Amino acid sequence: MAVLEEPIKGIPLVKNYINGELVESKGETKDVVNPATGQTIGKVPISTKDEIGAAVEAAKAAFPDWRRTTPLARVRCLFRLKELLEENFEELSRIQTQEHGKTIDESRGETRRGIENVEVATGIPILMQGYRSEDIAAGIDEYLIPTPLGTFGIIAPFNFPFMIPLWSAPYAVATGNCVIVKPSSEVPFSQSRLTELVDEAGFPPGVWNVVNGGRVVVSGMLEHPGIVGIAFVGSTPTAKYIYKMCGETGKRVIAQGGAKNFMIIMPDCNVAATIPALMTSFFGNAGQRCLSGANLVIVGDDKFYNSFMDGVADVASKIIVGNGLDEAVQMGPLHDKEKKQRVLGYIESGIREGAKLRLDGRKIKIFGNYPDTCFLNPTIFENVTPDMKIGKDEIFGPVMSVMQAKNLDEAIDMVNTNPYGNGNAIFTSSGKSAREFQYRINSGNVGINIGIVAPMAFFPFSGMKDSFFGILHTQGKEAIRFFTESKVVIERWF
Amino acid sequence: MKLQTASATISFAKKLEDESAKFYEDLAQRYTEGKDTFLSFAKENGKNIVQIERAYYGVITDAIEGCFAFNLNPDEYTVKTELAEEASYSEALDKAVEVEEKIIKFYLDAAEQSKSLLADVPRVFALIARKRSDRIAKLMLCQNA
Repeated sequence: MAVLEEPIKGIPLVKNYINGELVESKGETKDVVNPATGQTIGKVPISTKDEIGAAVEAAKAAFPDWRRTTPLARVRCLFRLKELLEENFEELSRIQTQEHGKTIDESRGETRRGIENVEVATGIPILMQGYRSEDIAAGIDEYLIPTPLGTFGIIAPFNFPFMIPLWSAPYAVATGNCVIVKPSSEVPFSQSRLTELVDEAGFPPGVWNVVNGGRVVVSGMLEHPGIVGIAFVGSTPTAKYIYKMCGETGKRVIAQGGAKNFMIIMPDCNVAATIPALMTSFFGNAGQRCLSGANLVIVGDDKFYNSFMDGVADVASKIIVGNGLDEAVQMGPLHDKEKKQRVLGYIESGIREGAKLRLDGRKIKIFGNYPDTCFLNPTIFENVTPDMKIGKDEIFGPVMSVMQAKNLDEAIDMVNTNPYGNGNAIFTSSGKSAREFQYRINSGNVGINIGIVAPMAFFPFSGMKDSFFGILHTQGKEAIRFFTESKVVIERWF
Repeated sequence: MKLQTASATISFAKKLEDESAKFYEDLAQRYTEGKDTFLSFAKENGKNIVQIERAYYGVITDAIEGCFAFNLNPDEYTVKTELAEEASYSEALDKAVEVEEKIIKFYLDAAEQSKSLLADVPRVFALIARKRSDRIAKLMLCQNA
């Protein structure tokens, strides 16, 4: 089977995109490393506060004209962008694998999800229409106009470098706002390529800006009075901080945090279809996603438990781990050695706390000749309890913590006791159990026989409890509401 | 090495389509009596690739089991397209039926394995298997003509 060609050649330096120009940052640079090969694939700047200031000024200057541009003309830029994204689909996908490590199937899935948001946002001429009531009193009409607000900051995490900024940016610009995107400095290249396509799509200068960097850029966005709102995806502690800071500075905010997702297995599930779904859920993206399965709760007697777990452990032990650009590979590496070290810490903690290590991912088997720096194989712990660190913390790695529950009530209690509420699922052939689960759990995204509960672009990417801070969510109609203010007009003519 | 990921399986399907298209182009040059039929098959192979890619690239997302949808042994579906220099038209038709049967088996097995896991792709696989079954009927007609 083929190892696909790497699209990033040489050691390119990522540029910022400010006021319609690709510009070199004045900040320091750091290396971007392919986690599968260990090779440096490029450099990313850590931009300065002045550079975020310049981007805000560019966006501020662009906003009045962009707002006045008709919605149809605005979405024509998105239609062009959509075409360019399709034309460059494979390159964009391979870049994600090269910079992040995920498999090529996963990267293509991410590219598709990103494009879907652009597609949905092209419906803005209808989607952002207001409404009107005639004769609220004799001769008086009242109507609502959704109006854009100005400049928004979009702060992205490392785990979905291409897709996550597209949960917000297309809706923001389609509704007449301007954006400043800060990609993760760990994986800046897919956004860098996207930026070139944004430029080619013909957005006016200043409408879509990109400033690379780290904390300085984030704090610059949070403190800058010219930014009216922030869409953030990342860890829960940072989401809480962003939410608090936006409250203090009067910005609207979407802050999506971490997760500890439960997959509930009922004895009546379709075992043959459930096991591959669990492999994708727990080990896809090497467990580095906020919708990954983390805790597997098996309901039923020991006989069912043993037979089900034999199947899970057997399939997990055969997962092919390696370079995601190899089409045979089913799981890529973790993004960097620090992240691997963190996961190793959790594995050691599980052992210390008395969980049974059924499958030890520290025994690394790599398909192909690659350094083991960032690789781990799938790990499975049994006899895990919800109070163990591996049962309650977000590990963000390929580790499955298995628990048993006497019945569905107990399983639902486990989910609801956990502080997170992001993407939890049940596997069953009983409509009654599925309905009961869906109704009672406190989770923003709920799966029924689905291991990765990722809402489509025309639904909000929800979240509850410590997984989400804010009111409105990214994607779909909620994103449109987030990026617009309701202006209500009461009108009388003498 | 087994085909387990969607990416590997799609690449293998493309390889089968390419190889069998070349096979039919070669037959079209060698056997004028079946030229139109063979060329139409070769052309249809190109359309099959477009259909497969459209289905795969159109629906692949991280919510479905792209890396865990298949368990196919490619050796079972490798087609042997070599035909002896002196082979008759009838022998060429027999060879074409043999090639089609092998490829149909691949598409049917791939569709069956992935039908509850991958959206749209298994449907296209089943559709192409049906189209290729129609080819066998056409090849039989040529044989009996």
